[in-house]
Amino acid sequence: MANTEAEAVDFEPEEDDLMDEDGAADADASSSPRAPLPKLKSAITGGSTSSSLSAPKKTKGRGFREEVDAERQSRLSGRGFDSLGSDGGPGPQRSVEGWIILVSGVHEEAQDDHLQEAFGEFGEIKNLHLNLDRRTGFVKGYALIEYEKFEQAENAIASMNGGTLLEQIIYVDWAFSNGPSNWASRRKNMRPERTNRSRSPRRRY
Amino acid sequence: MAAMEEDSGEFYLRYYVGHRGKFGHEFLEFEFRPDGKLRYANNSNYKNDTMIRKEVFLTPAVLKECRRIISESEIMKEDDNNWPEPDRVGRQELEIVMGNEHISFTTSKIGSLVDVHSSQDPEGLRIFYYLVQDLKCFVFSLISLHFKIKPI
Repeated sequence: MANTEAEAVDFEPEEDDLMDEDGAADADASSSPRAPLPKLKSAITGGSTSSSLSAPKKTKGRGFREEVDAERQSRLSGRGFDSLGSDGGPGPQRSVEGWIILVSGVHEEAQDDHLQEAFGEFGEIKNLHLNLDRRTGFVKGYALIEYEKFEQAENAIASMNGGTLLEQIIYVDWAFSNGPSNWASRRKNMRPERTNRSRSPRRRY
Repeated sequence: MAAMEEDSGEFYLRYYVGHRGKFGHEFLEFEFRPDGKLRYANNSNYKNDTMIRKEVFLTPAVLKECRRIISESEIMKEDDNNWPEPDRVGRQELEIVMGNEHISFTTSKIGSLVDVHSSQDPEGLRIFYYLVQDLKCFVFSLISLHFKIKPI
């Protein structure tokens, strides 16, 4: 389960982001400063035609009446996004320094101490985010908790999911997953992105 | 309360805020995909040339919490018709698919509540204004906890 490559987060933009998808070294690619259009488009951003979704939708907003430029379509599609290594299997994913769980159904008047008390018994809480509703200033309703060890997080989930905190039922689960959720992978036309592909060769000049 | 939308159906969200200026195209964008993948991109050319691009799969529990935040905001009932249009100062885009509804709103950057109050649709814009902050807050927590970076 432990992921030995978890530390390998790099902040550098990968220079081969602009490589053609298949690394085909055609002459045009090197003369053009812009990346070719990615073949994998963002799930839905392809303008008003939401072909990747099944049922017709009621649409609303100026975004549908604007031309979607290529740049917008490409910003979040394609490769070049850093992720922590994963075996692609089911189950929770380890974060850089530990295991993160989500607590939902948190009472709006809960405070750090309440969560420390309830969740500290499973292990030292390395990090706690109890975010506030920006309008009301009360707790938004969720907390994110980091434990160092898998077992601590697992115990917290097993013991606290469906329990109560400040007389409100809370739900506790992993935050991050090794792969796509079932709902989407059941969909027939959903092609999984290649996650194990090897790095493209360095650009040749 | 909007339980149907929270529990079932397709879900997609994309938020963008950015502008083009002397430091190039600076923007922040994130996306929740139907399969649970969260993608996050933050490009600032100020001082140093950094482009942060991260992705991670979220569990259904996290997606559900995101849907709850959206449902409770009631943003899907709003319309961007009378919101300030994107301008030289910047633009925001919020695209959400939930249930059988698909919104794609655009507006200018909103500096503060003063901008909200002076707009043609303060009620709707206020909902957008706070929802965006709540979503950013959620995403920043997820990204910073997972990757140990400061997203902004």
